[in-house]
Amino acid sequence: MKMTKFFAWLAIAVGVIYFFVPLLGTFEFSLRMRRGEYSFDAYGSVFSDAAFRATFGFSMLMALLTIIFGMLLIVPTAYWVRLRVPQMRPVMEFITLMPLVIPAIVIVFGYLRLYNSSSYIPFTGSTFGTNVLLVMSYITLSLPYMYRSVDTAMRTIDVRTLTEAAEILGAKWPTILFRCIFPNVMSGVLSGAFITFAIVMGEFTMAALLNRPAFGPYLQLVGANKAYEPSALAVIAFAITWLSMGLLQLVSRFSKMAPSRA
Amino acid sequence: MSFLVLDGIKKSFGQTQVVKDFHMAIEKGEFVSFLGPSGCGKTTVLRMIAGFENPSDGTIFINGRNQSGLKTSQRNIGMVFQAYALFPNMSVFDNVAFGLKVAGMSKADIDARVKEMLRLIGLEHLADRYPYQMSGGQQQRVALARALAPKPQVLLLDEPLSALDAKIRVSLREEIRQIQMKLGITTVFVTHDQEEALSISDRIVVMNAGRADQIGTPSEIYNRPATRFVASFVGTLNIIDAIVVDPAANTIRIGDNIITLREPIGALNQGDTVSIALRPEAGSLSESATGDTALTGTVVSTHFLGSVVRTRFTAGGNQISFDMFNAPDKVLPQPGETVTLRFAASDLLVVKE
Repeated sequence: MKMTKFFAWLAIAVGVIYFFVPLLGTFEFSLRMRRGEYSFDAYGSVFSDAAFRATFGFSMLMALLTIIFGMLLIVPTAYWVRLRVPQMRPVMEFITLMPLVIPAIVIVFGYLRLYNSSSYIPFTGSTFGTNVLLVMSYITLSLPYMYRSVDTAMRTIDVRTLTEAAEILGAKWPTILFRCIFPNVMSGVLSGAFITFAIVMGEFTMAALLNRPAFGPYLQLVGANKAYEPSALAVIAFAITWLSMGLLQLVSRFSKMAPSRA
Repeated sequence: MSFLVLDGIKKSFGQTQVVKDFHMAIEKGEFVSFLGPSGCGKTTVLRMIAGFENPSDGTIFINGRNQSGLKTSQRNIGMVFQAYALFPNMSVFDNVAFGLKVAGMSKADIDARVKEMLRLIGLEHLADRYPYQMSGGQQQRVALARALAPKPQVLLLDEPLSALDAKIRVSLREEIRQIQMKLGITTVFVTHDQEEALSISDRIVVMNAGRADQIGTPSEIYNRPATRFVASFVGTLNIIDAIVVDPAANTIRIGDNIITLREPIGALNQGDTVSIALRPEAGSLSESATGDTALTGTVVSTHFLGSVVRTRFTAGGNQISFDMFNAPDKVLPQPGETVTLRFAASDLLVVKE
């Protein structure tokens, strides 16, 4: 029994060292910009960089649009599959898992071939079109996480009976979806949203190959040309991810406090 | 024309026909129960009235209006589900107000109607609670108030008491009946619990394999079961296999007992087997019992059930149960003992297969 406990602690210690020592090292290095003393100069330099603000703002906007349009696509789809075609669930699971199997670079090359400026749907022919394509590619990338979180939330409520209860009270589809179903899967929607946010903020391949000024390519650019700022950016990127994870936990806890039961 | 008419309803799912040529006419304000085992089609009929399923054939009329082609939301029907189906994100008040808001009523009217409904179910003080903060019985009462709030023309109850514990079930079914009588609303109640159906219905439809085996008052269903299925499903009826002795004289034989029936069996032949039903409470062992018919057999077992004692004996290969009221000084028949059960010949019913 004692040996088991020892190995459990050993495993935890190894894990902590593996994950936290590099992070601590990066953080420590990011504070060394000023010679001979610790300072937040690297962070000051990053935050005062106009390119940082522009790319960060751009990625935030893209993340927001990805979340809105992704949810508008996924919530009704997951709802419909559960309600009307439950036999299609394995197919949906398979489709939504595809972005995990197909590398992002393959997807984006596919996009470039299909939607280039000389194609029938020339998304890349304009800045707006390319941005639309980028949002669509982000929706594709976040599909596995968004669909699962929404579908899991739907599992906790009796979608069919709630729909029928609303229907017999005279409600039509938009009312049923937005007043009876959507609020009850909000925890899943928010979980999916935070994961999507974290993915979009750090995504490089799609943005770089579609030549959009996103945060991911900026991280790469700074990393290639500067010394201390990349470490500061890495810590900032971690902070963003952790903030998303923290909010996700908070949302899950609130949803546990108010269990939805049909 | 009756208020709710089901005219030749049929329903098939793929190759399986779950409702077979179902006819029923329900009067305004009547409380009708669909009683039957799982899979007999009772819920499917209810769902067709609600509009959740479309009949494969036949027509449903409510207040003279053909419901074919009408969506569920257009039928003005209230429904209470087995699983409560309250909206988890809404308070009790908002749940009850939902149908009224959808109908576009004014805020003042909604407020007044919701309060009236909550008063009706005695939960006015819980208006701000959420479903997860309430017991099953309270949730089901809210579901009833929600269904009644928009003043539906028909109320459908889909096994609303099944998920509740025994005590709450009894009190809530009485409450449902009182509210139904007070509002005079035409109600269809689906249940597999015969006691529930017998206690609150004006009429009962006993369903078996997609058909209505018998439609009648609780007393008719219990005392005059039309088929062997109804006899076995409703109450604990003894079904006795007897041999026809003389069809013209209506005499049958059960073991060594020759019995004359009141019901004619002239259509049968001598030596045919006929199913006879006898309620456990119909007979008595007492020598002074007034029954004109006697059945002798050997006691197999005696079970103490509280207010009654149930004794099982065999006669002509049949196991027959009868109930006696419990009394502290009563001497109970012992296994192996020969007993004679006395009852009126009119208590014996010939049942169809």
